[in-house]
Amino acid sequence: MKAVEFVNISKRFGNLPANDDITLSIEDNSVHCILGENGAGKSTLMKILFGIYKPDSGTLKIRGEQVNFQSPHDAIAMRIGMVHQHFMLVDDFTVLENVILGSELTRGLSLDFRKTERLLNELIDKFNLNLDLKKKVSQISIGQQQKTEILKLLFRDSDILIFDEPTAVLSPIEVNEFFKIIKAFKDSGKTVILITHKLNEVKQISDTVSVLRNGKLVLEQDNSKGNLDIEKLSNAIVGEKDAVETETKGEVKSREEMLVMSNVTLRKNGVDILNGIDLELRSGEILGVCGVEGNGQTEVADIIAGLEKSSSGKISRKFDTAGNVPDDRIKKGMIREFSIGENIAIKNKKNQVVTNNTLKNLAESIISDFDVRLPEIDSTLSQLSGGNQQKVIIARELRQDNPVIIFSHPTRGVDINATAFIHSKIIEQRNKGKAILLISSDLDELISLSDRLCVIFRGRIIKTFEYDEIALAQKTEKHKEMDIEMNKNLYDKIGKLMMGLTD
Amino acid sequence: MKKSRQNVISISASLLVTMLIVTALLVSIGKNPIAIYGTVLTEVFTSGYGIGQTLFKATPLIICGCGLAICFHASLFNIGAEGQLNAGSFVTAIAVIKLEALPAPLAIVVSIIAGFLVSGVFGLIPAYIKIKKDVSEVITTIMFNFIIIALINFFLVDLFAVKATMHTEKIPDGYMLFRFSDFIPFFQGSALNASFVIALMTAAVTYFFIYKTTYGYKLRAAGFNEVASKYIGIRVNKVILISFFIGAGITSLAGMNYIFGYKGFYEAGFSNNIGFTAIAVTLLAKNNPIGIIFSSILFAILDYGGLSVNQEVPKEIMLVVQGIIILAILSTDKIVSAYFARAARDRFV
Amino acid sequence: MEVATSILSFAFLAQVLRLTTPFYLGASAATYSERGGVINISIEGFMNLSAFSFAAFTIGTGSLVAGLILSIIVNLIFSFLFSLFTVKLKIDQIVTGVGFNLLIAGITKFLLVLIFKSSSNTDRIEGLPEMTLFKSIPFLDTIFSDYISIFCFALIFISSFIFFKTKFGLRLRSVGENPWAADSLGVEVRKYKMYGVMISGFLSALAGIWLASNQNSYSEGMIAGRGYIALAAMIIGKWNPVNVFFACLLFSAFEALEIALQISGTNVPSQLIQMLPYVITILVLIGFIGKTRPPAADGKAF
Repeated sequence: MKAVEFVNISKRFGNLPANDDITLSIEDNSVHCILGENGAGKSTLMKILFGIYKPDSGTLKIRGEQVNFQSPHDAIAMRIGMVHQHFMLVDDFTVLENVILGSELTRGLSLDFRKTERLLNELIDKFNLNLDLKKKVSQISIGQQQKTEILKLLFRDSDILIFDEPTAVLSPIEVNEFFKIIKAFKDSGKTVILITHKLNEVKQISDTVSVLRNGKLVLEQDNSKGNLDIEKLSNAIVGEKDAVETETKGEVKSREEMLVMSNVTLRKNGVDILNGIDLELRSGEILGVCGVEGNGQTEVADIIAGLEKSSSGKISRKFDTAGNVPDDRIKKGMIREFSIGENIAIKNKKNQVVTNNTLKNLAESIISDFDVRLPEIDSTLSQLSGGNQQKVIIARELRQDNPVIIFSHPTRGVDINATAFIHSKIIEQRNKGKAILLISSDLDELISLSDRLCVIFRGRIIKTFEYDEIALAQKTEKHKEMDIEMNKNLYDKIGKLMMGLTD
Repeated sequence: MKKSRQNVISISASLLVTMLIVTALLVSIGKNPIAIYGTVLTEVFTSGYGIGQTLFKATPLIICGCGLAICFHASLFNIGAEGQLNAGSFVTAIAVIKLEALPAPLAIVVSIIAGFLVSGVFGLIPAYIKIKKDVSEVITTIMFNFIIIALINFFLVDLFAVKATMHTEKIPDGYMLFRFSDFIPFFQGSALNASFVIALMTAAVTYFFIYKTTYGYKLRAAGFNEVASKYIGIRVNKVILISFFIGAGITSLAGMNYIFGYKGFYEAGFSNNIGFTAIAVTLLAKNNPIGIIFSSILFAILDYGGLSVNQEVPKEIMLVVQGIIILAILSTDKIVSAYFARAARDRFV
Repeated sequence: MEVATSILSFAFLAQVLRLTTPFYLGASAATYSERGGVINISIEGFMNLSAFSFAAFTIGTGSLVAGLILSIIVNLIFSFLFSLFTVKLKIDQIVTGVGFNLLIAGITKFLLVLIFKSSSNTDRIEGLPEMTLFKSIPFLDTIFSDYISIFCFALIFISSFIFFKTKFGLRLRSVGENPWAADSLGVEVRKYKMYGVMISGFLSALAGIWLASNQNSYSEGMIAGRGYIALAAMIIGKWNPVNVFFACLLFSAFEALEIALQISGTNVPSQLIQMLPYVITILVLIGFIGKTRPPAADGKAF
């Protein structure tokens, strides 16, 4: 039997086709992985399955029955459950309260805690979840929070389980535990759908795999015998990239140490976030920082930018202010209600008169230098696309001509052309002799841009790859058509390090 | 451009809605709405006295509204204007008497500055508590309203009031600001005075400050998105302190109309809730100081108009009207902007 | 000396507990609303409205029961409107609160003059009937003088039970903490927010009714900031029914002290005593409590 069938599903956002005529079916009692780059349409498809979005056209069948979900509630009623990338938990509630919310068991007027606890403990034992029901969510680890989410689904007896990038936030041990749980789900007859972009995980866990690219289903493969063709998969994921000319790295003659952090720690609200960071940042280089999110990279950036004070350790810096392109452009990068000119003007140190003319001039220079596309010159940033917003932020941060520039996830959620443009801007700054800190979760981006690359894990830099090691990888990358096998060694090594596995 | 058209539509809609509700209210209590509107309009607009009194009543609202606009733009919900303006006005009125030794212009300027500082400091305290303790300014400014009024009453009764009254000594006649009627006979009998000009200037300067200076941009940025402002390099805490200080300080000037332009002394209760009405005035004008001039005049028309129809309906009906206007603008604003947003999205698709 | 003895008496303690009623009802009103994520600074206005409508309806109908029921209904209508503004239209909650306070102040002043031809107070009303149950017990007769007071004390336990032991409470708290999470689990977020606000309207109605009933009339300005103090008590009590009650005791103690001082005729200026609760609020907020943590999505639109 088919657990889920998508038939000619299409969904557009504005002019952008997020899902384009997708027909895909997923076997009952199987583990299905959906692969694709950022913006390929994976999440949209899953949100359609979970009733968050309604498709523009096409039909959806669950266990052979055609459905027309108006909201997630309808999907939940069909025993579909979803664990979102950002957990949907109430921090101030206990695990138990989070789990039962919305499906409470009652006895008379009161909640039936005794029965609930018994039921939940049975589930915890059955699937080996190892959770303390009485702890508040704010006091447990990310891995345990994910288990809380899983317990929510189990409590509701969901048997089609959707996970959106479940392993992105987990440590390697937690990933292994997670896989065991998935196996247990399968053994108990459930269907699991995973969104991911980690190929090794796919190979390990999936029965079937599908790949989305630019909203289209481009490949389906069977892995029931562990016979997945990784190369074919990765080609399908990336596809033919537009040839956008990027700046080439020039030779940098002298490198000067702009920033040295030694044994820097940070403790916030009783939690150790940085546990002794040692890091050198030199002019004329791009220092890449890779790691699973939440391992302290944001805080390192904040400390360098002067937004956060370290708890202990030594920091010597040869600059006053750093340009800072933050990781979340909407929350941290811009004032959405302001125009381009206004977003630039607020960065001025001096208090001065701001006329419409000043704003226009500021905007015009940036629009032409950074090729920003916008409806009108005084349009607010909220009216611009993600890529154009990001260009404006980068333009503003480069304007000050600071010797140190931090880029945190500079191309996240940005289309391919803007990505290439942003990459060449980063290299251009490096060639000018700027010291650049590049934080990203996109390993391709890090390897192709960085001069040196360090891996951060649990608030510590556990490994730094020096010039020669990276340069080799870059050389192979130049030649390749995404030749995974050639780079596999370096990728594997970094991948393991990101999980905290030092050899 | 689009934004301003949107504002015109929502403001007009809110006034229309208010009209309808008030008309229904008047009919329901058995009054003739047309006759009442007629009385208000003729009383307010057909005599120099009526126009003068209306502008006179608008004066402190404009000034106080400008102070609030600065706070509101920085997303600081200052509900303490009533207390702040009383504190500053009280100090100004006392200082001017105590400084009689100085030449008149100097005494006036110094006492006004003293009042400004005192009001400003009462704005700084909630700002400081907000920054240090993360306690909402809403609750602290409300508390300070009560504290300040109690303090003033205490000082007034025990130290500064003329016996058997609740007001301070009268300032020398030579210190009084000119009245419009001194030069323009048209305004005969009205208390409209130079404070009105000061109010207009305050509005102009505040407008310039908010919309045309880097600082104004920074304070609005902090109001829109505090986190992003920090990342962009704006020192948000400093913005909060300065906005609250200046905003609260400006409210102190609202007392000039009464002290220097009308009675010549500070009197308990003189403000008659201007500090709260000004919140409504400022919201109606969408925090724009030039708009505040007009919304203040509208509220002044209601205030003076209420007096003119007091024979027919209790003048307090105008308080009801003011309340309805404020709720009407809030709701029409949301509805109109939701409509515009939908229209924009449809065009985009 | 005289004051000291009067303060140390049981009578004083009973007085403190009795005066807690309007504070605790108001603070509970605010707590229900904020637990659901809606900041309601209109408690003052709601108390004012019900105090007036209770007096007016009681006089108009000649029946206390009718006055009680009708004034509660009026408050429920206004709190429903308040929830339309804040929950349905998602208008800024503080701005809406200011608007409602202004409108209600206007309505009561207007109707006071229109109906009672007075700008200060209504005609006299009979207060709520006295409880006979505790009539003969010295201490309790002051505290449990009427049904509303009894309900108020019971409310400490009722609220604790509702918030922490019932389905309704769990859901109400969830929409105040993380409405997106609640929504993802099928909790009807807006409905619960509306319930919170309506309960707030109901409880503040009782607070206003109690005040008018005790004073045997409605008079302009009679709420005298109690609605705002109730908000402060809620913050100091950290949104927890039991703690909030103790915070309210603090404020009613000051009110009792003020009355004791006035009766004894000491020369402590009354203005300064009146100021004390507000100063205490500020001091407590600054220094004596740790960082307050309102419901995580308090004030946020959903």
